[in-house]
Amino acid sequence: MTPPAESVAAMIRPTPLPPDSQTNRDIMDVFMERPGLGWLLLVGICLGALGAGASVWIYQIYKGLGIAGYSHPIFWGAYIVTFVFWVGIAHAGTLISAILYLFRAKWRNAINRSAEAMTIFAVFTAQLFLGIHIGRIWKAYFILPYPNQRALWVNFKSPLLWDTFAISTYTLISLIFLYVGLIPDLAIARDRTTGWRKALYGALSLGWQGTTRQWKAHTRTTLHLSGLATPLVLSVHSVVSWDFAMSIVPTWHSTIFAPYFVAGAIFSGFAMVLTVMIPVRRIFGLEHIITDYHFENMTRFLLLTANIVAYAYAIEFFVAWYSGVEPEKTSFYMRAFGPYWLSSWIMMTCNGIIPQLFWFKRLRTHIPTIFVISTLINVGMWFERYVIIIEGLSNEYDPAVWGRYTPNLYELTIVAGSFSFFSILFLIFLKLFPVIPISEVKELIIHDRAHAPGHGSHAEAH
Amino acid sequence: MPTLVGIFDTPSGVAEAVRRLKGRGFGKLEVYAPAPFGEIEEAVDPRPSKVRIFTLVGGLTGLATGYALTIWMSLNWPIVIGGKPFASIPPYTVIAFELTILFGGIFTLLGLLAVGRLPTLKLDPSYSARFSAEEFGLAVEVSDRDVAEVEGLLRAHAAKEVTLVAE
Repeated sequence: MTPPAESVAAMIRPTPLPPDSQTNRDIMDVFMERPGLGWLLLVGICLGALGAGASVWIYQIYKGLGIAGYSHPIFWGAYIVTFVFWVGIAHAGTLISAILYLFRAKWRNAINRSAEAMTIFAVFTAQLFLGIHIGRIWKAYFILPYPNQRALWVNFKSPLLWDTFAISTYTLISLIFLYVGLIPDLAIARDRTTGWRKALYGALSLGWQGTTRQWKAHTRTTLHLSGLATPLVLSVHSVVSWDFAMSIVPTWHSTIFAPYFVAGAIFSGFAMVLTVMIPVRRIFGLEHIITDYHFENMTRFLLLTANIVAYAYAIEFFVAWYSGVEPEKTSFYMRAFGPYWLSSWIMMTCNGIIPQLFWFKRLRTHIPTIFVISTLINVGMWFERYVIIIEGLSNEYDPAVWGRYTPNLYELTIVAGSFSFFSILFLIFLKLFPVIPISEVKELIIHDRAHAPGHGSHAEAH
Repeated sequence: MPTLVGIFDTPSGVAEAVRRLKGRGFGKLEVYAPAPFGEIEEAVDPRPSKVRIFTLVGGLTGLATGYALTIWMSLNWPIVIGGKPFASIPPYTVIAFELTILFGGIFTLLGLLAVGRLPTLKLDPSYSARFSAEEFGLAVEVSDRDVAEVEGLLRAHAAKEVTLVAE
């Protein structure tokens, strides 16, 4: 039986396309709009600072590490401090994507993409510091187990080598995680762009069409990657902490270091996500997607991890006293009242005391307060690493070899350059890729619509 | 064979139509969705996805590689470090753990590509940009004489439009 001719004709006739999904438009506007003056200005400032940092690094490669402020016995300075700082920042992304995914915390949808992107950029920034810190950058590849003429292999018993494996694994897995999440969104962009953008999104989206087979594989992949990334994220900062804890330096040689560092990393990562996303939400008018509810949930995380960190600070002092080990006791006394007292009290105030304000709901939902506190936490977490590393090294066992360290202008320029490096990468990401996972947001919208009472069969054009 | 594409607003509508079409023996169908929905997956193919095999194989490969790499390299140029045995398992577990995750993750990505049949250079003729908006598409391959019946079925299950893609 052939269908009536007019029926077939009606089916072949092109029907006018309904208006595009509101979610698509809202989020694509963020990266499709021409960069505004503010964006260009920010990139310009960051490029300036990055240029300064890069010049200093080049000068340091030429002159040697002597230009940094190292002095006996402190040879881990601002570079390692900032390295640990950025590795810590990198923990929020995977925590939000993987762990909250496993807990089915749907509110993560609004922030997970930006957090994942920050993870990648923070890891890149951290890895720069490994190159900067080792001085002879041209020998950086010595850390990899590669076949060489001397038939030498690396020392797998060294925590520094574990760190190499942990951080490079983390970089790759975070990249895969970010990319897998991006594929459906890139297909959305492919369908709606022209010119070089279409070519870019078309190539990167790999021909994604959202067939059932693809979605099914995609949700499974996300689940399995989450399952893999959850222990990974906990392991990475644990391994970083073992760089310290496996040594015998007083204040470092302690079993609390792994959980203490992991909690601190999540704490600082969430703070950084808030510091970055509060202005982004305001500038791009995304208040209806990233709501105050999302920010409030994140402040709860800050409160939780702040308390874990504060507990660690306190218990360290207690254990130093209770152990009766003289160098430990001395070192911790020096932490609070020694030459680095200011850094220590900045750390304790910003990380332990100020976040307690989040007990109050009014402050958890007051966006300017959240912004100020999260920024202070970033400062405090940089100082935490500064205190742990510098104070630990300066008061070791024998008072005859105690020393002092202050980062000099060269080091601080490079540290400032690293913030610019991170910011530039993020600013470019904002203008090139969807900063909010479009299909995940749509999943919730379609789900809500399908279950809304009194729903008809017609699409709402919003 | 011509392909009929029904356009739907809700995942449950698509799932219903898929079940009905399959019941009538129209098995050559493809659903395009803007987001993942369990009910559609259930209706189209309830079997578990094969991605998990990739993850498992990758993870085990990484684990084996991690121990093999560290132990072999330590024995290949034996140096006593910290008075520990050449092949000391506890420190090497860190490396093996990281490589388990690394290989597991990379294999999972390969699994997504293999199972999802990616990358492809050409999009299906029945695919439309509407399916990356908020609508669902159900493409059914039918013989000429079944066009009317399938169209009726699609419309009966709340397809708001049905288009014919000739191929």
